[in-house]
Amino acid sequence: MVEKLTVSSSPHILSKNSTSKIMLDVVIALLPATLAAFYYFRMNAVILTVLAVVSAVACEWGIQKIRNKKSTIGDFSAVITGLLLALNIPASAPWWIPIVGSAFAIIIVKQLFGGIGQNFMNPALAARIMLTISWTDPMTKWVKPGVDAVSTATPLSYVKGVTAVPEGAPSIFDTLIGNIGGSMGETSALLLILGGVYLVYRGVISPRVPLIYVGTVAVLSFIYGGFDVNFMLYHVLSGGLMLGAIYMATDYASSPVTKKGKIIFALGCGIITAAIRFYGAYAEGVGFSILLMNVASPLIEKYTSPRVFGEVKQNA
Amino acid sequence: MRDIIRLGLILLLITSIAAFVLGMTNDFTKVIIQERAEQANVEAIQALLTDAEDFNKVELDSIEGIIVESYEGTKNGVIVGYTVKTKPQGYGGTVEVLVGMTIDGKISGVKVGEHTETPGLGSKIADASFIDQYLDKATNLVFLVRKDNVTSDEEIQAISGATISSEAVTDGVNAATQLFEDVLKNR
Amino acid sequence: MKIGRIFTKGLIFDNPIFVQLLGMCPTLAVTNSAQNALGMGLATTAVLIGSNAVISLIKNLIPSKIRIPAFVVVIATFVTMIGMLMKAYLPDLDKALGLFIPLIVVNCLILARAESFASKQTIFPSVVDGVGMGLGFTLGLTILGAVRELFGLGTVFGVTILGDFFQPASIMTLPPGAFLALGLLLALFNKLTAKGLNEL
Repeated sequence: MVEKLTVSSSPHILSKNSTSKIMLDVVIALLPATLAAFYYFRMNAVILTVLAVVSAVACEWGIQKIRNKKSTIGDFSAVITGLLLALNIPASAPWWIPIVGSAFAIIIVKQLFGGIGQNFMNPALAARIMLTISWTDPMTKWVKPGVDAVSTATPLSYVKGVTAVPEGAPSIFDTLIGNIGGSMGETSALLLILGGVYLVYRGVISPRVPLIYVGTVAVLSFIYGGFDVNFMLYHVLSGGLMLGAIYMATDYASSPVTKKGKIIFALGCGIITAAIRFYGAYAEGVGFSILLMNVASPLIEKYTSPRVFGEVKQNA
Repeated sequence: MRDIIRLGLILLLITSIAAFVLGMTNDFTKVIIQERAEQANVEAIQALLTDAEDFNKVELDSIEGIIVESYEGTKNGVIVGYTVKTKPQGYGGTVEVLVGMTIDGKISGVKVGEHTETPGLGSKIADASFIDQYLDKATNLVFLVRKDNVTSDEEIQAISGATISSEAVTDGVNAATQLFEDVLKNR
Repeated sequence: MKIGRIFTKGLIFDNPIFVQLLGMCPTLAVTNSAQNALGMGLATTAVLIGSNAVISLIKNLIPSKIRIPAFVVVIATFVTMIGMLMKAYLPDLDKALGLFIPLIVVNCLILARAESFASKQTIFPSVVDGVGMGLGFTLGLTILGAVRELFGLGTVFGVTILGDFFQPASIMTLPPGAFLALGLLLALFNKLTAKGLNEL
């Protein structure tokens, strides 16, 4: 049974043979959004992304050396973790942020819990939360896209604590193409969706989790905003929702494997995200909600795993 | 049955000795603890109203809302100002807000005491950069928290991500200034 | 058992935090700075020495049926006394530790030593055990507190160690930091002592 559960791994590995092939698919899917980040945030974004990826791979190699384990840097999973982390930090972040984040993600969240496939939560996301709690200022200093890097608020902070989109907030079109403030990868909803469609087409992820997750947030914000479509689109297209729903909530190792489990997982993510956005202290709740549901995954699996053929129901 | 009585008596003996020892300790430390508490209180309000030399508790007819207590500060027998302690409701519980006001109607000091606001967000209400917004302003203003740019004296710039905590402090200051305007000033 | 052995057992080989993992509640909760950790450790040590001494003295008077309530009364008395004394003479530390001083009463380390050591030994070894275990607990708490303070604030005992180039990771002084630091320190302690313990 354990064997069966650990075949799939973090992030997005179906079987050992095709590990690097699938990883390549994820890289391809993330490419448009990454290039968009390079375009919007220029040199800063390039440097931060390179630092994150290189340090993630270096940490993976180093910790496995120390622990006398066979090195798994060849499967590119550390590259994905580094890339996802880079997309989760603001372009104005100082150079050490991606390095500390990658080290935390790889060494503590991934390798100390058993390495690939054994991590109990998404490494990149756990690192983002750790960074945000530790260095709130540099991690929330969003800049406007462009060369001059003017500091700005995220679209979500405009709609924090209100039930309608206020005047002066960025337009829906800007949030769609990514011409807004935010961390590097959460700006362009359109390109993230494009990558997601590619992953679904290649069979790397099932569309169930992203669709239900985004759908739940859409329905709840539609109701909360008093049936205002504009307000709903705002919540769906801005912040880390697309990045989280498509690339992180679908992580094989830290989300349930059963069909029913996936549905519960995605619903939970959506509800917690909406609750944090509407009632919480932070403007964004995607990170916390996915991590919380990651932790709940074993429990969800326990109650949704199908009965083994021939097993007698208890208390029957 | 006899066994139970025997056991009970032994426990009674042990607890009696314990109670006696504790009583002694309490007697011994009570006075010191009280003195310390008073001293700490005086030091806190002294910082809010630096002009004053002596402080006396004001007996308020009725303590309403979030007001906890008030002291009058005197210098050479003349009242130079008042301090008011309030406990408004914040995001994570009540926030202790101490306000010092001079007799001519200016806020001379604001201090955030014990609170349980979110570290890194709400906890910034205790920082000088937030607190200093109230300083030297007139007590007849009613302060208002704003999320964007402030344009006038009665507007207070909220800490981003911690509007509720910012409002709590403002509530405390408003309650204190109102008490000053309505009651303390006219005593 | 030799007296010296009883002492070193408490301090290192049976260290309450790194080996026995006893008293995790104060360990995780009050170690946000080295000073708080040291204060908490010393307060616990004082209670432990007192309760060990008294329990070893009266062990023959207590019928085994009511030994647990009797132990708890003795421990609670010492905790309350320490609490009052700290309030009077160390008000700042008392304020920082707050609720965790009265909670020493339910620190399983103290009841464990009363039950497994003091109630079977004479007063002298019991006091030595109290000192050893107490200082072992203090040592563990202080190391944890110092590590958390160093990375969370850049200081140890309020003295700046890491200069301006260091950006403190405030997560280390928050509850998650307690778990992170404890886990990593446990790993390190096991790595360092693994060989030594096997040879015992």
